[in-house]
Amino acid sequence: MIELSHVSKRFDTEIAVDDISLRVPKGKFCALVGTSGCGKSTTLRMINRLIEHSGGEIILDGQAIEAYDPVKLRRRIGYVIQHTGLFPHWRVARNIGLVPRLLKWPAAEVQARVEELMGLLGLPVGEFGHKYPHQLSGGQAQRVGVARALAADPDILLMDEPFGALDPITREKLQDELAKLQARMQKTVLFVTHDMDEALKLADHLVVMRDGRIVQQGTPLALLQHPADPFVESLLGGLERGLKQAALTRVRDHMTSMGPTLPAQSRIPADFSLRQALSMMLRDHSDRLTVVDQHDVPIGELTLRRIIKEAQFDRGSSRE
Amino acid sequence: MSLLDALPTPRIRWEGQHPNVVLISLSLVMLCAFWTVDVVSLAPNRIVMGTGYGALEAFGWPGVVLITLLLSSIGLFACQPTLPHYRALLTVVVGLMALMPVGLIASGLLLIDPELPQARLGIGTAYWVVLFVLMLCLVEIRLRLNLTRLWPTLLLTGVALVWWLCAALWLDNLALVQEFRARDRQFLTAVGQHIRLVSIAVGVSVVLGLLLAMLMRRYARLQKGAFTLLNFLQTIPSLALFGLLLAPLAWLAAKVPFLAQLGVSGIGTTPALIALIAYSLLPMVRNTYIALEEVSPDTLEAAKGMGMRAGQRFWQVRLPLALPVLLEGVRITTVQAIGLTAVAALIGAGGLGTFIFQGLGQAAMDMVLLGALPILIMALVVDAGLGALAEALRPGGH
Repeated sequence: MIELSHVSKRFDTEIAVDDISLRVPKGKFCALVGTSGCGKSTTLRMINRLIEHSGGEIILDGQAIEAYDPVKLRRRIGYVIQHTGLFPHWRVARNIGLVPRLLKWPAAEVQARVEELMGLLGLPVGEFGHKYPHQLSGGQAQRVGVARALAADPDILLMDEPFGALDPITREKLQDELAKLQARMQKTVLFVTHDMDEALKLADHLVVMRDGRIVQQGTPLALLQHPADPFVESLLGGLERGLKQAALTRVRDHMTSMGPTLPAQSRIPADFSLRQALSMMLRDHSDRLTVVDQHDVPIGELTLRRIIKEAQFDRGSSRE
Repeated sequence: MSLLDALPTPRIRWEGQHPNVVLISLSLVMLCAFWTVDVVSLAPNRIVMGTGYGALEAFGWPGVVLITLLLSSIGLFACQPTLPHYRALLTVVVGLMALMPVGLIASGLLLIDPELPQARLGIGTAYWVVLFVLMLCLVEIRLRLNLTRLWPTLLLTGVALVWWLCAALWLDNLALVQEFRARDRQFLTAVGQHIRLVSIAVGVSVVLGLLLAMLMRRYARLQKGAFTLLNFLQTIPSLALFGLLLAPLAWLAAKVPFLAQLGVSGIGTTPALIALIAYSLLPMVRNTYIALEEVSPDTLEAAKGMGMRAGQRFWQVRLPLALPVLLEGVRITTVQAIGLTAVAALIGAGGLGTFIFQGLGQAAMDMVLLGALPILIMALVVDAGLGALAEALRPGGH
């Protein structure tokens, strides 16, 4: 668990982070969102003591971070940065094994762990283990960056705009993989990004920052429903908010049992989002979709009228 | 060589080749030199100035025709530069270099009167021009064939062996060989002294340079002052610096007997080393500092964030990543020190400069050459060797 209470950071006269408090419970994914220079990276780097905070308390697993030796603290926190920071003179396998080696794991265990992680992140050892970082694409390099952060199996993962430098397609792919990994590993993650869609997609808890202060925090859905001020609203995409909200809601939660009429031609799997359902209605010129399960068996239907009527989406969200 | 190596590597496009104008011009330069300027000179003894001889007199018709053909073939091959033609060019150029001492043997047989065994054969202007231009050709061909530095180095070593063999066995009349024979002990001692002076100066400045650069990184204020001082030292002419050290060191040696026992004196090795180190420090510190500063901040941030201690970050990340640029500094410093050490002979530090200044004093150019040639060769060898090492140590081999 990560807990910040009334934390601030002053650089000479300038206040970078001003009295922020937030809590990331064990196994949860928290995203810090804001425009550049809002103090979100500084906040992250105070947690592994790359920057020392100047006020307030940062508590990690029940203990103030000052009580840890900074080096030992960093070794138990996974850290991923935007430009990967891989060591260009080390091969991929050696880069990934860095922290276990620092922790003096036996060589065979390091080797086994590296192979396990490379498998997990879709980088076959035979093909990639002996490559140098400059021989990798941006996406592959950041997979290595994530593998390196996970190598010593830390409970806590700090990610500083990890996908910021990737092209949109690669970025989306890595986001999906991270979501899957997180569902499996349940790390306590603090994730910094300026991309609101990325945050909405990945986070359990969203923290919006501006000028070193927290403007609003809560679940993605709560923020979408009740943005605190025009700044948060504009970050959330202004007019697009409705669609973003729809993207966070599953078809399963809004379908009704089959009506007496003939089933609609267009079929949509139950775990798709309402956004995808709306898109399908527009494409197929239809205000009615047949909802199917994973075996393509019809289990209900979804109507446009119902989506619009329940547009508050405030009941039964899959994210809660 | 490295200056020429710094030129951008041209993209290889074998199809639709344009004639290689560089090689054609170089071939014309060599033909001109070969036909118009003296190839060798002959002096009856050491004191008298030699008489110059052109190609025809030195090699006779068969030799002139053979060499003219070979030199023109360079231009002809270069008109249609295909891959096999470049390979042929490499063979011709290296072959010509290896053939040069044979030419000297031939001209010795043709020109020297057997009645006058003291006659001395001097290497003429055309020889030097052709040798230099052949080296340029080699660089150009290396770039075109995209060869690593290793190949030309190996080929040139082979050529040097041929030269050595010819000189030792058949070139008794060559003035250079005679100068060497007359003082071979002295020569070897001088080479040893030269290497020792350079190694100590470079070794000390590598350690000092690293320490200074690290101090400068820690105390930013030191940086400006230190660079100003080092830049200033670099502007003092070497001769003046050697002279300037004379008085204070002599005074020190007289006042502090302990220092005198250590070998400190106004002339000799100590002032030479002090001056050499003073000159070596600027390129060393500058390159070391830049090398250490240039390491990507992302990489270092990651190293810190992963939990590497300061020492681990320095030895495992910063230093290995800085090494290629740092070695460039060592290379520049060493080449510079090899040249400067020649001047140190003036204050009695020994080394190959002794022959240069003695030769100048006696107007014996061959003796000057005996000192200058090994300096040139040493500089080239160090340049190529350290350059190749720096290339091999690029992070991740690129």
